[in-house]
Amino acid sequence: MHSTRRSVSLIAGTVLLGLLAVLIAGAHWISPYDPVQQHAAERLEKPSAQHPFGTDRFGRDLLARTLHGGQITLLSAMAALSGALAIGLAVGLAAGMFHNSLLDRLFMRMIDVLLAFPFMVLAMVVAALFGTSLFHLLLAVIAVGWVTFARLARSVVLQARNETSFAAARVLGASNRTLILRELAPKALSPVLILATFELGSLILSIAALSFLGLGAQPPTPEWGSMLADGREYVLQSPHIMFGPALFIMLSVLAFNLIGEGLRDRLDPYEKPQL
Amino acid sequence: MRRSGFIVILAGMLIMAACSSNTGAPAADTDNAQAQEQAEELVIADQQIAASLDPVEPLTTSYLVSVGAAETLFKVNADGEVDAALAASARELDPNRWEITLREEARFWSGKAIDADAVIASLERSRELDLQAQPFLDGLRLEKSDDYTIHVHTERSHVPVPLNLSYYQTAIHNAEAEHDAVESMDLTGMYQVIEFVPKQKMVLAAYEDYWGTKPTIERILHEEISDEQTRMLSVLSGRSHIALKVPVTSLAQFQDSDTAEVVASQAANTQTIYFNLARPQLADERVRQALSWAIDREELIILAAEGQSVPVTTWLGSNPAYAEASDSVYPSFSNETAEQLLDEAGWQLADDGIRYKDGLPLSVRLMTWGGDKALGEALQSQWSRVGINAEVRHGDYSLIQTARETGDWDASIEAWSTFGDPYTLLSGQYAPGSSANYGGYDDAQTNEWLAQLAESADPAEQREWALKINERVAQQAPVISLFPRPQLTAVSTKLQGFEQHFRQFENIVKANMRWEAE
Amino acid sequence: MAVLLRKLMEALLTLICATVILFMLIRLAPGDPAVLLLGQPSEVAAMHTEVYEQKAAELREQWGLDQPMAIQYVSWLGRLVQLDLGTSLHTGRAVSAELAERLPATLQLTAAALAVQLLLGFWLGIVSALKAGTFSDQLIRLACVTLASTPAFVTGLCALLLFAVTLGAYEISSEASWSRLWLPALTMGLASMPQFARMVRANMLAELGQTYVLAALSRGLARRRVIGQASRNALLPLVTVTALSAATFASGAVVIESLFAWPGIGKYALDSILRKDYPVIQGYAFVMVTLVILIHLCVDVLYAYIDPRLQRKRRQVTRGVNEHA
Repeated sequence: MHSTRRSVSLIAGTVLLGLLAVLIAGAHWISPYDPVQQHAAERLEKPSAQHPFGTDRFGRDLLARTLHGGQITLLSAMAALSGALAIGLAVGLAAGMFHNSLLDRLFMRMIDVLLAFPFMVLAMVVAALFGTSLFHLLLAVIAVGWVTFARLARSVVLQARNETSFAAARVLGASNRTLILRELAPKALSPVLILATFELGSLILSIAALSFLGLGAQPPTPEWGSMLADGREYVLQSPHIMFGPALFIMLSVLAFNLIGEGLRDRLDPYEKPQL
Repeated sequence: MRRSGFIVILAGMLIMAACSSNTGAPAADTDNAQAQEQAEELVIADQQIAASLDPVEPLTTSYLVSVGAAETLFKVNADGEVDAALAASARELDPNRWEITLREEARFWSGKAIDADAVIASLERSRELDLQAQPFLDGLRLEKSDDYTIHVHTERSHVPVPLNLSYYQTAIHNAEAEHDAVESMDLTGMYQVIEFVPKQKMVLAAYEDYWGTKPTIERILHEEISDEQTRMLSVLSGRSHIALKVPVTSLAQFQDSDTAEVVASQAANTQTIYFNLARPQLADERVRQALSWAIDREELIILAAEGQSVPVTTWLGSNPAYAEASDSVYPSFSNETAEQLLDEAGWQLADDGIRYKDGLPLSVRLMTWGGDKALGEALQSQWSRVGINAEVRHGDYSLIQTARETGDWDASIEAWSTFGDPYTLLSGQYAPGSSANYGGYDDAQTNEWLAQLAESADPAEQREWALKINERVAQQAPVISLFPRPQLTAVSTKLQGFEQHFRQFENIVKANMRWEAE
Repeated sequence: MAVLLRKLMEALLTLICATVILFMLIRLAPGDPAVLLLGQPSEVAAMHTEVYEQKAAELREQWGLDQPMAIQYVSWLGRLVQLDLGTSLHTGRAVSAELAERLPATLQLTAAALAVQLLLGFWLGIVSALKAGTFSDQLIRLACVTLASTPAFVTGLCALLLFAVTLGAYEISSEASWSRLWLPALTMGLASMPQFARMVRANMLAELGQTYVLAALSRGLARRRVIGQASRNALLPLVTVTALSAATFASGAVVIESLFAWPGIGKYALDSILRKDYPVIQGYAFVMVTLVILIHLCVDVLYAYIDPRLQRKRRQVTRGVNEHA
C-alpha cells in the first residue's frame, strides 16, 4: 500500500517536470514571438488568444518571455546547483577521508561560519557589493549552498569508513585517491543527489527572491524572478503580468519537491532525515 | 481519546483565527475613527525622511524645508522667479555687492531674533559643515551692515545672490542651538517639530509666533514609506494625504480612485545620457550624433515614463525659461540619418544585424541606476534597430562612480537640475574638469563662449550665450538629452491648496492648505 | 565543564573567522567610504572639488582608511569589543542605536510568525503522522508541498492585494502596530510552516515505529498516554529547529518586511545594502552572526547535558529553516 502512494508523488513530480521541460524547450514553437522585441503599440495588454499571458510594459509577449525565461532560470539554478554540488562533494569527501585532521577541522569551521551568516543577507551583500548580474547572484548562491552537501557527504563518508570493505581496501594498500574515488565517492553520491533534488527547488526560490529584490539578471534577459520584480510595479493595474512567471516558479519548485518527497519516501519508509 | 487532542489544537486554531479577524476588523474601525478624529492631521508619505535634525547634515534641510519647518532667505516661485521669504528684500548695489534686508518681526522658535548676526552665523555654519551648501556660498562674503541688513560681496560680478540663497541648503537655523534633539533644535518655519523618530516619522505642529501667514492645518505627520507600492496603497486607502515620488507605473491606479489624484508637475531637469569620449567608438562625433538621431523620444516616454513627459533634445530645454531650446537640434527621430552617419563613420552593417569597423563591433554599454531601468531597456531596444550592439547594466550608483574613476564605462544616465544660474549650470556640465563633465568634453569654442557668459552682465545677453552653448553642445553630442524626469505627487481629494512646482520636492506644505468642507 | 569550555572556544573561533570574512567582504567591495560619507552633490552638479577632496582626505585619515588592512581590522575588532558598531554613513547615527530602535518590531513579528508556524506545524504534522497513509495525510502533505513551492513574496503580495486593496481590512503605513502585525506574521509563518510540519510528521512516525511504543500498545496501555509519551520524545529535538527559526526570523525576513513596510531589522538591512551603508551592513551582519552562534552554542551545551545522543540529531537540522523567506 505504501509503495503505491510513494510512487504517486514521484510520478506526479516527474510528469510535471517533463511537461515543464517540454514547454520550455519548445518555447520557439509554442510562442511565435521574440521575447525581447518591443512593441510600443501593444503594451500592457490583457491575456487574449493572441497573447495568452498578455504583454508587459514594452509590449513583449509574456508567454514567450515566461517560456524563454524558464530556460535561463532553470539553467542558472542547475548551474548553481552543480557548482554547490561539486564543491560540497569535494569538501565533504576530503573532510570525511581525513577525519579529525587539520583539513577537516578547517572545513568544519568554515561550514560553521557560513551557517552562522543569514543566507539572504550574505547573498545580497555579495550581489550588491560586486554588482548586480545573474553571474554574481549565482556565485553568491553557490558560496552558501555547498555547505549542505559537504556536511551530508562528510557524514556518509564517516559511516562508510567504518565498513569492512573500506578497511579491506586500505589493508590491501589502496592509495588515498583510490579509496576516495572507488570506496567513498560512490556511497556519498546517491544521498547527495537526492538532497540535490530538494535543494534545486529551494535554489529556484532563493534565486527568484533575490531577483525580485532587484539583484538578478540584467535587462532585457527574461528571468522569472526579475519578471516578477518588473511586474510588481504594475501589480494593481495589470496583475496578469506576474501570473506567468509566478505560476511557472511554483510549478517547477513543486515538481522538484514532489520528486524529492518521492525519493525520500522510497529511501526511508519513516522519512527519517538520512544522515 | 486522540480526538480530544485534536479538539484542543482545533480550538487553538480557532482562537488564532478569531484573533486575526479581531485585529483585522477593528483595524478598519479604528481607521475610520482615526480619520474623523485626526481630520486635522496632514499625513505625508515620503520615500525617505530626515535622518537627523541638524540642517547641515546631507538632505536633512530638504525635508525640513518641504514640510515648512525650515526656511531660506529667498524662495523660487512656481514661475521660476525669486521671491523674498525669510528676508524682506534684496537689491544689487553694484556688480559685486548685494544688500539684503531682514524682517525685524521674525523670530526663531526659541524666540531669538533673526538678525544679521544670526543669519550670518547660520550661513557660515552651513558653509563650514555642509558640503552641499558649497556651490551656493562659494565666493560670497557676508558682512553685517546694521542689525537687520547684510551686505554680500561677490568675487565674480553679477552673481544672482538671492537665487543662490534660495536653495534649501542655505536654510536659516540658529547656529548657537544644539540640533540634536527636538527640544533644542531651533528653526524659523511655520511648523515646529514636536516628535521625531529618524527615518520613520516626524510630527510637526503649527508655530504660534510665525512671522508670516499662519497655517490652517494644525498638525503634520511626515512619514517614511520607502516601498513605492506600499506608499501608493497608503494614499489610495486614505491613510495618508500626500504621497511623494509616485512612480509613473502607478498612474493607472489613480484613474478610478476618488480618494486621491495625481498631480504631475514639469520638473526642470533633463534625463541625459553622458558618453565617455575617451572610448574610440564614441570619440567620433558622427557616432554620437547617430546615437541621438536613433532615439525615438516619444516612444521612450511612453515605454519608460507612461507618457508623462515631453521630448527635450537639448539640455537646457527642460528649464521653462529656455523652452524654445527644447528641440532646436534633432527636431525629429530619424533612423535614416542615424544609419547614414554611421555608414559615413565607417561602421558597416554585417549579417548579424550589428555594425562593424576593422572587425570590431559597434558596442555601447549603458549604465543605469535607480528608477531608470526601463529607460535603459527601451534605449537598448531602439539603438539595436540601427545596428548598435547595446548592452544595459542596471545597478547601484556607486558602481557607476567606480566605473568613472577607472574610466571603464561607455555611457550612463543622470538627470541634473537645469534651473539656476546659467553659468554655474553650464560650466558644471561642460567646462573641462568640471564635476558633471564625466565624459571629458573639451571644446575650444564652448570654452570661449563659457568665458564670455561668465563676464556678461546683462541678463538678456547671458541668455543668448547660454542658448548658444546649449545648442553647440547638443550638436556635438557629448551628451544626449532625452526628456525631463516626470515628477508626480499623489494628493488626497480632501485636501485643498496643494500647488504644483517644478521643484516639488521642497514645495509641499503651504500655509493655505486646508481640508475640503464636509 | 571541559565540554563547555571546548564549545565556548569553538564558538569564539567561529566568531573570529566570521569577522575576518565580513571585514574582507566589505573592504573588497568597490566604492570609497569617504566619498559615500560626504554624499553626492544633490541637484546642481557643481561641487567645489578642492574643498571636497580635502574633506575626503581628512575623513580617510580620521577613519584610518589609509592604514594597512591588518591594522584596520584589529582596530575594528577593538571597537567591536567595546560594543561600538560604528556610525551609519547615511544617517550619521550610531549603528547600535539604529539596530536597537528596529529590534522591537522584528521581535514582535518573530514571535507572531513563530506562533503561527508552531501551532499550524504541530497540528498538521501530528494529524498527518497519526493518520499516515490516509486521505487527510495526503491532503495535508500536498497542501504543505504546494505552500512550500510558492515564493513567500507571491503569497505576501496576494495577501496584500486581497486584504488591503480589495477588502480594505488592512492598514498600510510604515508603523509596527499590533493591528498591522497579523498579515506579515501569517505570511511568514505560512511560508516556514511546511518544513516544520514535515519534520514533526517524520519525527512522530519514527517514534511511533519504535519498539517501546509497539510494546506498550501490545501490553494494553492506553493509546492516548502512549502517544502522548511518544510525542514528547519525538518533539524534543524540534526545540533546536524552533530556536533556529527564531534566529532566522530575527535576522529579518528581508522580503516580507520590505513588502509590508514593516520597520524591522530586515528592511533596514536591505535599505542599507541598497545604499551601500557599509558600517550598517557590517554591524548588522556581525550582530546576527553572533546571535546565531550563541543560539548554536546554547543548544549544543543544552544537549550535551540533557542527552548526548541527541547531539548528532541536532546537527541534521541546523541549516536555516526559512532560507528564502
